[in-house]
Amino acid sequence: MTAGNNQRFVIIGASAAGSSAAETLRRRVPNAQISVVSDEQFTYSKPLLSYYLAGKLGEAQLFFRPPDFYERYNIKKIQARAVGFRPEKNSIELSDGTKLDYDKLLLATGASPRFPKIEGIQKAGIFGLRKLEDAHGILARLPKAKRTVVLGGGLVGLKAAAALKERGLDVTVLVDSPHALSQMLDESSARIFEKIFAQNGVPIHTRAKPDAVLGQERVESVQLASGEVFPCELVVVGKGVDPNLELIEGTTIRKDYGVLVNDCLQTSIENVYAAGDVAQARDVLRGEPWINALWPCAVEQGRIAALNMLGKETIYRGSMRMNSVQFFGVPVISAGLAVLTPGPLGGRPGEHDETLESSPAPGIYRKVFLKDETIVGFVLIGDVPIEAAGVLRILMERRVNIASVKEELLELGPDLGYLLPLIAENKEQFVEREFQELVQTVGV
Amino acid sequence: MERLFCDPRRCVGCRACEIACAVEHAPSKDLFVSVLRGELGPPRRRVQTLGGEPYRVAIGGVALSLGCHHCDPAPCVDACITGAMHKENSQTVCDTEKCVGCWMCVMACPYGAITSKQTALKCDLCPDRRERTGRARYACVEACPTEALFAGALEAFQQALAQPVTSSWEVAR
Repeated sequence: MTAGNNQRFVIIGASAAGSSAAETLRRRVPNAQISVVSDEQFTYSKPLLSYYLAGKLGEAQLFFRPPDFYERYNIKKIQARAVGFRPEKNSIELSDGTKLDYDKLLLATGASPRFPKIEGIQKAGIFGLRKLEDAHGILARLPKAKRTVVLGGGLVGLKAAAALKERGLDVTVLVDSPHALSQMLDESSARIFEKIFAQNGVPIHTRAKPDAVLGQERVESVQLASGEVFPCELVVVGKGVDPNLELIEGTTIRKDYGVLVNDCLQTSIENVYAAGDVAQARDVLRGEPWINALWPCAVEQGRIAALNMLGKETIYRGSMRMNSVQFFGVPVISAGLAVLTPGPLGGRPGEHDETLESSPAPGIYRKVFLKDETIVGFVLIGDVPIEAAGVLRILMERRVNIASVKEELLELGPDLGYLLPLIAENKEQFVEREFQELVQTVGV
Repeated sequence: MERLFCDPRRCVGCRACEIACAVEHAPSKDLFVSVLRGELGPPRRRVQTLGGEPYRVAIGGVALSLGCHHCDPAPCVDACITGAMHKENSQTVCDTEKCVGCWMCVMACPYGAITSKQTALKCDLCPDRRERTGRARYACVEACPTEALFAGALEAFQQALAQPVTSSWEVAR
């Protein structure tokens, strides 16, 4: 029996990281007391909100865990907001006035949309797309809205723009940066999607810096610094997220941009861990702690934090920037920093020294960025090549020298078989049981 | 747990496993009918060329049939935003009713073992084949004409690998 059965585990946050941690804990400690605190009624998938907004999914389909998840796992779900935190007393204070004592605590408080600090941004009719209530707010407004302005050309902004277009609205996207998806794609790849959006009736204006939201109580238009005005009845903001750090204000927990954690996802206080969009953890590509606010990272971090909370030391390998999305039926997967234009949040100058590119058929585009013969980024657009993404990603993550297969890298598709000798040569990097078995049984 | 392995010394790259897999997952379960109706989907395992000439000579093989490894923990399950991809009795299963085709799992799978076709498709270990047909459980294993595909425990497969390669033709003679 794993140690920890007599302990009280408290998890703040019930999304990807929180629910993954709760599940991991329960599987290993059947008798421990596990409480999950969240001010939201449901545990739902935030990345699916744009599908809900588009009308492609109903509300029930947003729940990525079975409806009886908490009962089934005997987890106490407390619908309240954590408002106070006394690490020295191992205690959390809730919005309903009660106190919750813990032996081990996980901070999985997530992040909130970043709103531009411009005049009129608090007017009615302006929404982020982060919570179910945001989607409800937007949907409630649809009968009275004909025109929408989306502020921000990132993943959430563009997903919201495409969803609202499918709802029949006139949608305009305003992007500060020189091109859309600047945190996901290089300029030439991004241009492909700007064109796809334009062809689908969604103009994307780049280098468009909003200056003010105009109107009485309700939004009536967005004005740019240039003076140009875009009339609208609805504004959706998709300009990235900031970690929710309110709870640790006034504590001694070390933070930078987010809550700093070590490779066991432990904060500067021994029995307090952090995971998900609030946790600033190892980034395998940057070599410094970073927040990659991504669903897969949050789930993995939740699981690894839980294992460490149970005293089973488990090292987090680290996250990396990666995204997979489809716009108007065209899939794109990209990963790595070298893809991005150098900037404070993007890549750094000199991130790559070679680029491999191919466009074997119309609508298919692949690009791999190399530095010193290792993969440091890639972009795959279109239907055929995306299955190669996972294989390219693992070669990048494990920093394998790909000189011997460089010629074939773009032609291979997902051919793991061809890459096996390379994996065998670097087998100390591929410690997973599945890789080890593959290498052994193929007889390297 | 019974798993699927491929002996690269026996795999000649004929792709019979791919066809058998695609047919097994087509509604009609019949090659001719499914091609005629245009309902033959992609296979969930793929024959891959083994890399590098010296390497092929060293192991005496040219190709390998690979599919889902049913990893634990499974990166595709972590990556799934809908809960479609999940673990069930140590298998990794995709509930295609729930899948929205975001390809996060495709990005996460280090083996390139997930096929993207409207929804994510992957090896489901032919859950109902034996009951339905009274034949072997796995379509790919049954179809393999060179007995390269193997269903069983890792240890049993390792024992098979320790044996020299012979053919049933040689044995019969």
